[in-house]
Amino acid sequence: MEEHYLICEDSPEGIFTGIYEAYAMQKPHDSIHIQIGEEENLRLFAVYRHIEPDKEKSLRVAETLERRLGPEAYVEICCALAAQDGGKGEAVYKTVVCGFKMRNGQQVMGNLGNPYVHKVFELARNVKNEAHHWKEFLRFQELEDGTLFSKIGPKNHIVTFLMPHFSDRLPLYNFMIYDENRKIFAVHPASGEWYLVSDAQVDMEKFGIYSENERKYQELFRYFCKKIAIKERKNLKLQRNMLPLWFQEYMVEFGE
Amino acid sequence: MVHFKVAEEQSIMEKLGILTDAAKYDVACTSSGVDRRGDGKGMGNTIAAGICHSFSSDGRCISLLKILFTNECIYDCKYCINRKSNDVPRASFTPDEVCTLTMEFYKRNYIEGLFLSSGILYHPDFTMELIYQTIYKLRNECHFQGYIHVKAIPGADPVLIQKTGFLADRMSVNLELPTAEGLSRLAPNKHRKNILAPMRQIQNGIKANKNEIVLYKSAPRFVAAGQSTQMIVGATPENDFQLMSVAESLYQKFELKRVFYSAFVNVNEDKELPALPGGPPLLREHRLYQADWLLRFYGFSAGELLSEERPNFNILLDPKADWALRHLELFPVEVNRADYRMLLRIPGIGVKSAQRIVRARRSGALRFEDLKKIGVVLKRALYFITCSGKMMYNTKIEEDYITRNLLNVKEKLPFDKDGVTYKQLSLFDDVNFQAPSDIVV
Repeated sequence: MEEHYLICEDSPEGIFTGIYEAYAMQKPHDSIHIQIGEEENLRLFAVYRHIEPDKEKSLRVAETLERRLGPEAYVEICCALAAQDGGKGEAVYKTVVCGFKMRNGQQVMGNLGNPYVHKVFELARNVKNEAHHWKEFLRFQELEDGTLFSKIGPKNHIVTFLMPHFSDRLPLYNFMIYDENRKIFAVHPASGEWYLVSDAQVDMEKFGIYSENERKYQELFRYFCKKIAIKERKNLKLQRNMLPLWFQEYMVEFGE
Repeated sequence: MVHFKVAEEQSIMEKLGILTDAAKYDVACTSSGVDRRGDGKGMGNTIAAGICHSFSSDGRCISLLKILFTNECIYDCKYCINRKSNDVPRASFTPDEVCTLTMEFYKRNYIEGLFLSSGILYHPDFTMELIYQTIYKLRNECHFQGYIHVKAIPGADPVLIQKTGFLADRMSVNLELPTAEGLSRLAPNKHRKNILAPMRQIQNGIKANKNEIVLYKSAPRFVAAGQSTQMIVGATPENDFQLMSVAESLYQKFELKRVFYSAFVNVNEDKELPALPGGPPLLREHRLYQADWLLRFYGFSAGELLSEERPNFNILLDPKADWALRHLELFPVEVNRADYRMLLRIPGIGVKSAQRIVRARRSGALRFEDLKKIGVVLKRALYFITCSGKMMYNTKIEEDYITRNLLNVKEKLPFDKDGVTYKQLSLFDDVNFQAPSDIVV
């Protein structure tokens, strides 16, 4: 049997367009696969096809998924698509196939016996956990002009999950979160709507010039963290379990 | 005792140091219990699940700016570092200082909000009034909408407590010690009834407020995240059964959200206090929290876990495994059929995995490998379950056999196995100096 590989862009739009095209081919789903980015090892007897992201097609897929699989499963799928994992396109595609075959598609995420559903579940859990960690551990630093700036280095593409949270918290502030792994800025202007900026030509050095008070509050917080610990209960292992070391380089209380 | 007053020229750094140091023994540092979005005109919101922002070197979470308003105190509780008769540096914040610290920390995402407690300055009313003024300012002048947890001071005017409750998300009155005898011995200025009175008042306030909210949606919320309390463990001779029974009745009769347990740290060397050469009783505290979880989320009652004859928790086994081993007649349980309540009672299955099992088995019978994916800890659960009528291995349903096997699976404890990670050496301790490897001075 001929195998078909659809090569999609790494974005929800790209993968949803891929799912649209996969259904449009009207071939058995076992023989169709979604792959993200360029093919590495070409397979014999496989047909490769590049899929251009298409806004209209992806919106139709998104709308169908939300209706047939329910909002809960739809959110789960969107979270999984934010993961940094090459197999996510295939997992989401086959989960959709599984859900559409079920009598009640809304229960698709409960079907953890299916390896693809299980993978989507794991990816989504991973993304949600990481987003939650950054809500906890991200630190803003006040720049000279009063803007709050934060640099993060997330494994998954989670900055879009952080922005609604911080926009609700700090509606009256100009703030910015910079994902240094993807070189993406998420910008929130005071009392405005947030947006993403990629490929920006900016001078990163100006994000190192702090306001007059910044150093003082960093020192106060460091001192607070030191004083709040009970020395009779000292337990660095537990601290590391709860707060993995790789986050600590982004946190002011572990600096200097 | 000479009493120094150095209040005038302390820097904010010094004050923060003194008043954090003085507040650190309070355990409640959670920011959970209420979801509230910002209104777009101020700063902050609250998330029901709570958010921890950092972890200190003792592994405890830092969620709130936990400080005392002042560590001056007219009381002389024997276990407390801030007691009147102790010669420690004293400091007091002003309401403005507390507000500025909270706002500046919050906007940098250091904290979820403020935890404000206080020593008793002059009189309970005077202290409560100061706390009220501080959070009034924070809410109405700084427009802070994040989480606020304040202490209700026992003996303060109920009107003040009521007013404060409309500004705070959570309030707590510390029970301090589980029994009235213990309290009168170690905290001669505090009385059980003065502690329970504000607790009851807050409970009634929350109830009345719920009815108001049904009628008027925009009515101000009163202590929306509920109230909590804490007990010191190991300073007085009560056993675990007494502690759990007190906790259970607090949950049932006072509708508390949380009861916290605090392993006693001996800071005062008082003749009324026990010497704890092994450090704070961390393992005991850990077992109490495990059991507390069983009460709140697993449908257990204190009487099922302990009794007059067995008044203390097993050191080697967690309370749930211990219970299961004493009720082997109920096992093994068929995972594909058992109701949710029974699933929760199986060692190795938690709330989340029980919920996932209930959902997943709708689309087909579950096998052991499915359970593993769902998150069931099979190493522990395998002695207590069957899948489609079969056990995972050929195992005996026999108390000694299962106990031995469960003990082979090392329990994950948040500290080293003897419950001690840090020991302060003192000249008068009779310490066995042969094994100093885990002793850090």
